[in-house]
Amino acid sequence: MQKVEPSRDSFSSRALLFLRTKISPMTIFWLVIVSILVLPILLFLAVAFSPKLLDQGPEWFTFNSFKAAADPYFLRSIWHSFVMGVVSAIFATAIALGVAWIVLRTNSAARKVWNLAIFALLLAPSYLIALGWERIFERAGVLNIFGIDVPFVRDLLYGPFGIAMILTFKGIPFAYLVISNAMRGLGEEFEQAVRVHGGSRLAAFKMMSTLLLPALWSGIAIVFAESISDFGVASQLSSPGRYSVATFTLYRSVMSIPVSFPLCAAISIILLLLIVVALLAQSRALRGRSFRVLSGRTRPITRQKLAPLGSFASNASIYALLILTLGVPVFGAISASMIQGLGTVISNYQINFDNYIRVIKSPLLRSPLLFSAEAALITATVAVILAAISSRMLVSTKNGAGKKFLDFFLLAAVGLPGIVFAIGYIFAYNLPLAQRYGFHLYGTVALLVLAYIATALPSTTRSLVGNMNQFQESLSEACRVHGSNGIKTWLTVVLPLISRPLLAAWCLTYCGTLLELPVSQILFPPGHAPLAVGIDHALGNYDFGGGTAMEVFAIISALIVVAVAFALYERLAPVGWKQLGRAHR
Amino acid sequence: MSTSTNKGHRIKIEKARKNYGSLAALDGLSLTIEPGQFMVLLGPSGSGKSTLIRSLAGIEKIDSGSIFLDKQEVNRGPINIAPEKRNLAMVFQDYALWPHLSAFENVEYALQRRKLSKEVSRQRVETALERVGLSTKGKNYPHELSGGEQQRVALARAIVADPALLLFDEPLSNLDADLRERLRIEISTLTREIGATALYITHDQSEAFALADKIGVINRGKLEQVDVPEEIYERPINRFVANFTGIAGTFTGKVKRVSKTSCIVALGEDQLKVRHTVGLKVGQTVDVLIRPAATSFKKDSENKISSVITDVAYRGRGYEHAIDTKYGSLTGVFDNVSHPRGGRISVSIDPDRCIAFPTESK
Repeated sequence: MQKVEPSRDSFSSRALLFLRTKISPMTIFWLVIVSILVLPILLFLAVAFSPKLLDQGPEWFTFNSFKAAADPYFLRSIWHSFVMGVVSAIFATAIALGVAWIVLRTNSAARKVWNLAIFALLLAPSYLIALGWERIFERAGVLNIFGIDVPFVRDLLYGPFGIAMILTFKGIPFAYLVISNAMRGLGEEFEQAVRVHGGSRLAAFKMMSTLLLPALWSGIAIVFAESISDFGVASQLSSPGRYSVATFTLYRSVMSIPVSFPLCAAISIILLLLIVVALLAQSRALRGRSFRVLSGRTRPITRQKLAPLGSFASNASIYALLILTLGVPVFGAISASMIQGLGTVISNYQINFDNYIRVIKSPLLRSPLLFSAEAALITATVAVILAAISSRMLVSTKNGAGKKFLDFFLLAAVGLPGIVFAIGYIFAYNLPLAQRYGFHLYGTVALLVLAYIATALPSTTRSLVGNMNQFQESLSEACRVHGSNGIKTWLTVVLPLISRPLLAAWCLTYCGTLLELPVSQILFPPGHAPLAVGIDHALGNYDFGGGTAMEVFAIISALIVVAVAFALYERLAPVGWKQLGRAHR
Repeated sequence: MSTSTNKGHRIKIEKARKNYGSLAALDGLSLTIEPGQFMVLLGPSGSGKSTLIRSLAGIEKIDSGSIFLDKQEVNRGPINIAPEKRNLAMVFQDYALWPHLSAFENVEYALQRRKLSKEVSRQRVETALERVGLSTKGKNYPHELSGGEQQRVALARAIVADPALLLFDEPLSNLDADLRERLRIEISTLTREIGATALYITHDQSEAFALADKIGVINRGKLEQVDVPEEIYERPINRFVANFTGIAGTFTGKVKRVSKTSCIVALGEDQLKVRHTVGLKVGQTVDVLIRPAATSFKKDSENKISSVITDVAYRGRGYEHAIDTKYGSLTGVFDNVSHPRGGRISVSIDPDRCIAFPTESK
């Protein structure tokens, strides 16, 4: 039998404990979080109150920037952002819940198509979805070329309806991932209990929805924060004359001369307050209730066999959703990439593959794709590691203050528009203090990747929280009492149990980073243009064909990476890992 | 099969305190468990027994006081030796089997700390599974096993590494009665075979009496009494211990006469001779706690009260009756034959198995 060690004297025990506390893995984690997330956000937001702190004005402390932000023009755009955030969050989460139920709990044939389509939808940045719709309905667009003109659809598209619609489309995959991960871990015994006690199918669905509340609220919070900080849709569909949202007015402020960074920071703080509202709503709705349902006793679910009418309705719903969210923009992008002279006044349009051949042959068009693929690979890997730790902390019953601190900054980072986040990075890492201590990161690939990781971390974390919430604490406690230290417990039990959600989160982050626009635009180092910047340059130079061909290549490459990742998982992961959350056919 | 070799930890807990907000889960509790001893902590929900066992495991940390495993102080002030360094194992209430590992792998996991060769490790896992009757279920995943089989895997996982301390956190509470009884016997024999010290918590007094070398009755974070099962049952130190270790009912009356170990209590028109463990005075109001074993329908007893049968339950070896008397109701009154509901009958009370406590000590 292994004997315990003799007792240590009190002083040496305390010294050892002190050292272990000071350089524990969690200390390193917190250092990383503060460096890449907290510091850039705080420094930039501080400019709103103290312009002199970063040489942006004469005052050490002032509210002048908030007075400037109280202008009706800015206030109206902030209100518009709030409304768009609420509408898109509610619709996206409701649709995602329905889709998750069809895909995971029924034998609907469309579920297989959805599983493939979800990553395409995740991959497509909002500006690409908006661009696809624009290419079809704009004047001299694809429909016009075929002699069709629908001005009322165009009017709807360039207004609140169009913005809310695209933001909802963009929000659905985020909400779906969170809800589906939680639903996978939810055994069907709860629904069966409703049915055997006289409840209808609807009552069972309501019970399942209640048990999924943490995931539903996480979905709402993510979509709300993503929507109010979204710049892609705003850049395409928002305008001062029609319906301006906060990120659009922020962009105009940043691009105006002279730039008022304190004003931008003030608007950002107001956006953050909107996020606080989302957080409060989430915590008030849950009120500390526990929804831990995943354990060793959870059994795989059995798919519900739909009647012919139900089967038709579920398939039709999924296909209609896919046509609206993916079909239209993909058709817009592909058709635009194959039409020579689109958007111009020439009348002899040609349809061919010349634009694709140009992308393959031209290093100017090809190298951004390769650069972004490398950056996305590193970002996804690091972000998923940090997100796994963060999400575990967020659902922990311990770490009260640290948990609230992390929760706030992660959600704040989602709420911060990417363009503002990038400016924060410039402030933080271009400060004389940073230079003095040898942090020469400004203008490097390393800074760009760090910013990618920081912007990806909040949504990646949120996507894992629902699943972590279902993880029974006793499973890791059992590891500790049976001889594993904290790290081994993570490697042998926590990570395997959430391996599939982790893989999904990795793919989500990879796809998101590949086509990231605002941070890329502000922080890309000379000679290393990321993909979104390459596409933007092409579109800016009226090379619609080349730009859209790059989009199509990027999406195809990302789908291949996702397919390979899942194929490797299915082939290499142990049987026990793969059967978690799997339904009977 | 090996027999006990007293190789377990000696557990010493000194003045342990643990608060959750304003609630004291452990209120200066002290306890010693000798090596190889099977200690059962018996107490109601919220009494602090789970906190105590989790603090011993190192999953929770006490606010003050200290915990020793043998001579090593594992918990005091900032010192908190990690669970994996305490050489113990635990059976959880919800089994805590890792769902991504098969039964074999679950058991094997707990053996990794011993750093054995693969072959030796395999043999020990197989032996452990065989000991709990699951030698053919090694490849099954937790969801493919019944509740009883899952708990057996948890038991095999706990014993496989020959730990010095075995902790049981209400391991049988999720199982049906028959399975509970069978697993209780397995826990009792296997634990004693490996010679580990064991701490078992439960709120079920029959489980406690069946398993324990010693029982500690815990209430509101304090130990009320620690003793061998017979003493706990025969000589409960206070009303709480008597109440929690099984009574058929309680009558309230006044002390009429007192001798060294017994007294006469007047209950309205009737009188009962009962035992007492604390000093009583004539005229004092007392609660008479009556053990189920004290009651019978014997006709030749002097200690008798008239009653009405309210319910009868068949228990295989005989019948248990619920009765109403003028002074309160009693349950679990056993007889080999059934008496009809509504029938009038005298119930006899064995003076040695009912105890009087002052009413104000409630």
